[in-house]
Amino acid sequence: MAHATGHAVDLGAKNIELPAPALGMRNIGLGLAVVGLGGGAAIGYTGAFGTEPAHFWRAYLVAFLFGLTMCLGGLFFVFVQHLTRAGWSVAVRRPAEALAANLRWYWILFIPFVVLWFVGFGDMGRANMVWMWADMETLKANNPEEAYVVAKKVAFLNPTFFWIRAAVYFAVWALLAHFFVSNSRAQDSTGDIRLSERMQKWSGPAAILFGLTTTFAAFDWIMSLSPAWFSTMFGVYFFCGCATAGFSAMILVTLRLRSLGLLEGIVTAEHMQDLGKLLFAFGMVFWAYIAFSQYMLIWYANIPEETGWFLARQVGGWGPMSFVLLFGHFVIPFVALISKWPKRFAISLGAAAVWMLAFHFVDLYWLVMPEIPHDLATFETYRQASDKYADTATHFGNPVNFLLALGAFGAVAAGTITALSRSSLVPKRDPRLGESLRFENM
Amino acid sequence: MATIVTSPTETKPGQPANPAKLYGLIAEFETPGDLMAAAEKVRDAGYKWWDCHTPFPVHGLDKAMGIKRTILPVLVFGAGATGTFAAFLLQAFTNSWDFTIWAGVWVTGYPYLISGKPAMSLPAFIPVMFEVTILFAALTTVSMMFLFNGLPQLYHPLFRSNRFRRASNDRFFISIEARDPKFLPRKTEEFLKSLDPVAVEAVED
Repeated sequence: MAHATGHAVDLGAKNIELPAPALGMRNIGLGLAVVGLGGGAAIGYTGAFGTEPAHFWRAYLVAFLFGLTMCLGGLFFVFVQHLTRAGWSVAVRRPAEALAANLRWYWILFIPFVVLWFVGFGDMGRANMVWMWADMETLKANNPEEAYVVAKKVAFLNPTFFWIRAAVYFAVWALLAHFFVSNSRAQDSTGDIRLSERMQKWSGPAAILFGLTTTFAAFDWIMSLSPAWFSTMFGVYFFCGCATAGFSAMILVTLRLRSLGLLEGIVTAEHMQDLGKLLFAFGMVFWAYIAFSQYMLIWYANIPEETGWFLARQVGGWGPMSFVLLFGHFVIPFVALISKWPKRFAISLGAAAVWMLAFHFVDLYWLVMPEIPHDLATFETYRQASDKYADTATHFGNPVNFLLALGAFGAVAAGTITALSRSSLVPKRDPRLGESLRFENM
Repeated sequence: MATIVTSPTETKPGQPANPAKLYGLIAEFETPGDLMAAAEKVRDAGYKWWDCHTPFPVHGLDKAMGIKRTILPVLVFGAGATGTFAAFLLQAFTNSWDFTIWAGVWVTGYPYLISGKPAMSLPAFIPVMFEVTILFAALTTVSMMFLFNGLPQLYHPLFRSNRFRRASNDRFFISIEARDPKFLPRKTEEFLKSLDPVAVEAVED
């Protein structure tokens, strides 16, 4: 413990406050948001690069989810630390809180879907371009078998309840984020230990609320894109995405702060190694575990109404993309990050975080974009289906995908930097800060 | 500072006066901080056969002692990878291939049609591959941990010392073994005394 008492840790403003020039990064983020979302909308409106309106709206859903998962991952980290009364993580909690703080305004990015649903953009956008069950008449005309199945689900899958639920999700996330962020900030000035106790007390209910809202949000916004299909594991899969994106974003924010010369002697290689472990555990191992569990049950049972979802992801260009996802999201980073050392150095851990964020985007694209062949019931063999749909393109290279995602990323980055500037970069009067500063991996 | 005690050689009546073989010297410290500072000096003095004994894990002691990183993770990774491939080969052979091999007795693979799947169905193999990976890795971790630590060991010369019993309660010890190439009874004792211990004691084998 000589190292604990041997040198004092610098908790001066220069070390734990975001300097004014760093706020310039916020303007870059805002610029990215405007250019990305504006440019994406321009491509969607003009139809450049052969962009269909349906593709544009789904690409926007991917981008929306890309930003959302980063913020939800931050919220998950914050309440889990309180839930487990963790000491090690206090030094890196503020970046996660700053990511979670975005949930207070992130609902704004969902407004385009409100307009799409209730007003519409004529041929440029109708709700059923994204969620086909939004217009049951059209669904019945195009695909009577699917409409027959979906009609049994209207008690849950109807517009009124859908929008009530969406409002509940955003309200719960905003309230949870506000609760943890504001109490943590209040402690900076009062140092009141009861604030920690209050956050601990409410972290249990927060975990339950978070689990339910993310699960049902995944059902509503992603799984219902293929309304006849269902998977009880889907919510967990989406949660893995939240953890992947959240931990990657946290690592990048923390490394960026350190590269600015901040948090010197506060955030050490020990903390970065543990963030790397979390990314490794949730982003690679748990993701692969859940993805495979979902796949194997459906593959083994081999029931057409369930296998269709995976069939859509095996035909044409989607087949190679599924393999790219398997290797990019699991195999390669698993081998690369399994050792202790890559998690301890900024360059390797940062590269892993960027890599995982990129493949999280591929994962969301893979979830949202493919369409289940509507004539699925007429195929006798897998070969027939894959031959007929051999030309299916993923349109992954379309710039609109990347512009919109960059826009959402920029918005989250700007919001995160703003949140970081509102308080010190460590909870400086948290009762467990000392424990966190002394933290060492054995 | 407390007194330095060197315990007299215990000789039981009727036994030859010739003292028993020396196991080594132990030095007792009151706080982890004292121990850490002393450990750094022992490390820098170039001793190899020495150890620290504490009632609880002391963070940073590995570094102070200059302990090299264990190769255990490499072995575990190797064992895990072996498990993955062994489980794959076992299933591929028993479910998908029909040739005969010698494995104690002559064994022939038996391609078996299960729910219309191809004989070589990797998804069906993965759960077993995963489990065997974990099994091999876990068994290797535990068995190598025992091997590297020289366990199980029912007796240790340090148990002779009454003073040493407090190593599991409230005191911190450094022991330097006599087999260390740098060990010279008088010189090492002087060295240990220079580390500011509460006491230094000789322990017999």
